[in-house]
Amino acid sequence: MLLPRFELHRPSSVDEALTIAARHAGDCDFIAGGTDLLQNYKNRLNPRGHVVSLLGIDALQELSPTRIGALTTLARIEESETMRRELPILVEAASKVASPLVRQTATLGGNLLVETRCYYFNQSEFWRRSKGYCLKAEGDVCLVVPQKETCYAAFSGDMAPALMALGASARLKSLDGERIVKLTEFYEGDGIKRYVLRPGELVQGVELPPSATSLRGAYRKLRLRDTFDYPELGLAVTLGMEGEKIRELHVCAAAMETVPLCFDDLTGSLHGQPLSDSLIQLLGERIVKRVKPVKNTALSPNYRRKMVMVYLRRMLEQLATAGN
Amino acid sequence: MKNREILELEVNGHRRQTAARPYDVLLDVLRDGLDLTGTKRGCDMGTCGCCTVLMDGKPVLSCLTLAGQCEGKAITTIEGLKDGAHLHPLQKCFADAGGSQCGFCTPGFLMTCTALLEKNQEPSDGEIREAISGNMCRCTGYVKIIEAIQQSAEVLRARKAGNEGQADV
Ligand SMILES: Cc1cc2nc3c(=O)[nH]c(=O)nc-3n(C[C@H](O)[C@H](O)[C@H](O)COP(=O)(O)OP(=O)(O)OC[C@H]3O[C@@H](n4cnc5c(N)ncnc54)[C@H](O)[C@@H]3O)c2cc1C
Ligand code: SF4
Ligand code: FES
Ligand code: FES
Repeated sequence: MLLPRFELHRPSSVDEALTIAARHAGDCDFIAGGTDLLQNYKNRLNPRGHVVSLLGIDALQELSPTRIGALTTLARIEESETMRRELPILVEAASKVASPLVRQTATLGGNLLVETRCYYFNQSEFWRRSKGYCLKAEGDVCLVVPQKETCYAAFSGDMAPALMALGASARLKSLDGERIVKLTEFYEGDGIKRYVLRPGELVQGVELPPSATSLRGAYRKLRLRDTFDYPELGLAVTLGMEGEKIRELHVCAAAMETVPLCFDDLTGSLHGQPLSDSLIQLLGERIVKRVKPVKNTALSPNYRRKMVMVYLRRMLEQLATAGN
Repeated sequence: MKNREILELEVNGHRRQTAARPYDVLLDVLRDGLDLTGTKRGCDMGTCGCCTVLMDGKPVLSCLTLAGQCEGKAITTIEGLKDGAHLHPLQKCFADAGGSQCGFCTPGFLMTCTALLEKNQEPSDGEIREAISGNMCRCTGYVKIIEAIQQSAEVLRARKAGNEGQADV
């Protein structure tokens, strides 16, 4: 399928990329691996006239337990011995994205900004035209929750919840300068707005606190097929214990709502308590009550919510024994 | 907006020039620009693996790769796999073991497996399953494919042992 027409720019530095993006403000997208963007362009989902390739920018390729460049591919994270040893949760999350072929070119930056997904959006132009377009592309009404203001497309990236649960921040750069935003504050708004990134601003990578490597972590993913499929639920849990008591606990989820969710307000009060069955049950019930998936992916919202409890219990049991 | 411009790619060891649009994916440039039609278009969306080629030795999906992002990379397609008049062991074993039926998925599988066997000459069935999990076959049921890959791994190991043996003499 032919892509829509665009001009391709190939800068070799971040500043050059930002200048080109500013010149074509409003009609420009960045492209890294292209595994998300090109699918959407083929389906004529909000294509732009200018595309700025970031692949020529060597500065965004770094990979260490405290800094990961936006252009680092998921395959590189998965194969890195250092990451396996220091931050196995990121290796686990990366190895569950798409298929091994996609992961060769899929980048971390692209994964953090992967387009939100919805059954009525991820379709061909022909399909969408027949159905009547929706709010997120070309139309003016949502086909899932009929109204004209809010899009409910699900955030479907696997790396964001795992990084959030480790306390990571995104390093952003625009012509106005650099800023660092905690991932828990990076995502906001509906399926169209998605994040605080400004037009023309670029993700340079993520930063992790050195203490992240002291946490035990796990990532589980609910999906139809064990390869290819985007998450129907992605649950990341990190745990730090002091003897029998919880020192630190973070639970983050993808594919429940339009942004990845972090439940620090529910887990914060559990610090200092022993990790018991009843604590896990109570926490699970509170999270299940909180999340509000809608009917716009393959599996039913009710099933996806119930699986939060199942995964949470299995993961916390696994993490509790992993330390003994 | 500029339409076609000259794109220079290194394909199967040769420098090739072709006219390409900035919005062409590698798959279209290989098939339509360079007449290398061995690389197949299945889904065109990243979910079948039929379009797999090697880029600097790594298996990538040419349907989701912009041709303009491939300059300076070494690309290998199924046409570049055989050694002179000799089929690559993977090609021969897929044919002999029945790992290829209609054949549409085969070029993609062969490129994925070339990269796998380059990295790991003694893959377990589990490692093979994981490596080919991005390639779909609607005919064989995968059992024969895994057999074919194990057989070619054996041929490659024997060859390597033979070469090393000769070097010792
Ligand atoms: C078959 C298939 C299955 C998939 N399954 C999954 C899955 O299970 N889980 C999952 O998380 N993803 C999945 N994906 C989506 C995608 O492959 C990954 O999210 C990938 O990590 C995206 O990275 P990329 O480099 O290809 O992004 P691109 O496609 O290059 O970019 C994605 C978006 O991010 C923007 N962007 C990229 N880099 C930057 C940057 N540094 N700064 C600012 N903007 C930037 C682009 O403008 C674009 O909007 C799948 C894709 C395919 C084809
Ligand atoms: S949630 Fe509604 S507006 Fe958003 S993509 Fe789906 S149908 Fe469109
Ligand atoms: S044609 Fe590229 S993955 Fe199907
Ligand atoms: S041999 Fe027909 S699809 Fe694989």
